Amino acid sequence: MSDQIEYKCPNCGGAIAFDTAVQNVKCPFCDTEFELEALKKYDEDLKMTSPDNMNWDTAMGGEWNADERDAVRVYMCESCGGEVVGDAVMAASKCPFCDNPIIVKGMLAGELKPDYVIPFKLDKKAAIEGMSKHLKGKKLLPKVFKSQNHIDEVRGIYVPFWLFDADANAHIRYKATKIHTWSDSDYNYTQTKYFSVYRSGNLSFARVPADGSQKMDDEMMESIEPYNFEEAVPFQTAYLAGYLADKYDVSEEENIDRVNKRIKSSTEKSFASTVTGYSSVMTEDSNISLSGTNASYALYPVWILNTTWKGEKYTFAMNGQTGKFVGNLPLDKGSLIKWLLGVWGGVSAAAVALISLGWYLL
Amino acid sequence: MKKKLFCLMLVLIAILIPSGVIMAKEPHDVRLVDEAGLLSGDEQEKIRGKLDSVSEKQKFEIVIVTMDSIGASYPEDFADDYYDYHNYGYNDSRDGILLLVSMEDRDWHISTTGYGVTAVTDAGIEYLSDRFLPDLSNGNYAAAFDTFIDDCDRFVTHARNDKPYDEGNMPKTYNALLIVGGSVLAGLIIAIIVVSVFMGQLKSVRARKTAAEYIVTGSMKVEDSRDIYLYSNVTKRARPKQTSSSSSGGGSRTHRSSSGRSHGGGGGKF
Repeated sequence: MSDQIEYKCPNCGGAIAFDTAVQNVKCPFCDTEFELEALKKYDEDLKMTSPDNMNWDTAMGGEWNADERDAVRVYMCESCGGEVVGDAVMAASKCPFCDNPIIVKGMLAGELKPDYVIPFKLDKKAAIEGMSKHLKGKKLLPKVFKSQNHIDEVRGIYVPFWLFDADANAHIRYKATKIHTWSDSDYNYTQTKYFSVYRSGNLSFARVPADGSQKMDDEMMESIEPYNFEEAVPFQTAYLAGYLADKYDVSEEENIDRVNKRIKSSTEKSFASTVTGYSSVMTEDSNISLSGTNASYALYPVWILNTTWKGEKYTFAMNGQTGKFVGNLPLDKGSLIKWLLGVWGGVSAAAVALISLGWYLL
Repeated sequence: MKKKLFCLMLVLIAILIPSGVIMAKEPHDVRLVDEAGLLSGDEQEKIRGKLDSVSEKQKFEIVIVTMDSIGASYPEDFADDYYDYHNYGYNDSRDGILLLVSMEDRDWHISTTGYGVTAVTDAGIEYLSDRFLPDLSNGNYAAAFDTFIDDCDRFVTHARNDKPYDEGNMPKTYNALLIVGGSVLAGLIIAIIVVSVFMGQLKSVRARKTAAEYIVTGSMKVEDSRDIYLYSNVTKRARPKQTSSSSSGGGSRTHRSSSGRSHGGGGGKF
């Protein structure tokens, strides 16, 4: 008893029709030979492909109580419209984003209360030190940048972060190869074996952060990651004393795409690490669904340093907990060319001299 | 009476020396024969001096013969016979090498004898000719001969101290263009790498593509894993051919000249 089935050739995608009575089949288009069993299993894996299901259920509580409402005020910048939260006794201050005076706008209304806060661990002095350390050893930084650029303002800001928890359930198909080479007297042979590798399983993520402030550059905030959440404490207004807290203006829903991408690629990578013994492994298809999703709202400490040089603004950020310092620096084109030509000429001349010397000595 | 007999002997010796009778025992005939007149007087002197000093130093005869015409002879026969009948060569094995240049048909031929066959193999002759032919073709005869003598010196030294230069074991030529070109290219690549590293120092703000720091330790569980072998393909690529040495084994092919002596050699047109 045999029947006719049609499969897709894993090599070229052509349709292979064959008789189930035979054991080995050959693709009529690319001449690749297959074992029937392998083709059957591969087809089953192919059929399991389904879209990602990365939906989040993020019901967050946390309303401010009356005492807390009294203790904090919303401040607004007249110039850029930025709104920040500070404690009620804070004296007149400057907008952390545009350096203009900010005014008290009023009491908080309707906003969510942060669940957690990681208190500032490093002070202003550490931030300034971090800056000078950051400028050290940068060969292509204009020499005058260090002396001419002055730090306009150093501010400690609590930046709102959404923290995402989820358990990822993954079904991933990888295409893997094993390469084997040998040779006889006339030819070098390379055999490439192709495998379809399937993995499924679970992986949990805890508190993947995404910044909830429009004013804060997303890439910059990702660059000062990670924060150590072990040191986080439940939010209390007392932590605001002396610092400003940015008000979130990017909702958790708006951050979900960024977080999903990070979770997906991390999941693929983690499961790929269980695919061993191959010469190459490529993700061909992955289906990830999330469960146990939860989002919380936390304030993370950030030092922001603004400097101006040659009329351009440079912004630096330091992780207020770990001291990680980031910020792009200007390039000195003159010394770039000097280094390029110098190394080029030096290495070339040295190589010629060395080879020639070796030539005549040996 | 005794004195007279002695004088007679002296006269006899004086007559016999140039006639070559004694030459049969003393192998060193003149090592540069410029019948075709390719060299100026100065050049002749220089080349002759060099031939003599290298030959004597190595105990290995290096001879250069230029002819306007070699008549109907083959260059090989002519070169072999010239060497044999002029009694060139050190030791009983008549160690040496002769370069013949014939202008009529623009032939050149190298004949090796004795240790010459060992020291200058077929591949060696090809190497030698590659080095002197450009000058020979362009009429820079003195330069061509100068190169030839230097190379013979090098080949004999190498053969005596180590083993003969042969296929797969030829002296490497100093290719200035390749070395300078390669160095400049390598320098540029290194310079670009160095500068890119320095440029990378200036950039510290980068988006994060993964969330690896937030994976709950030990939370990963693999439930199902399948590795299915699908298919394989084999590509073959011809190995770079090793020069014919593997088949011929290098060395020199020899033949017998009219005198019955064994010679190696090779030649061509210039």
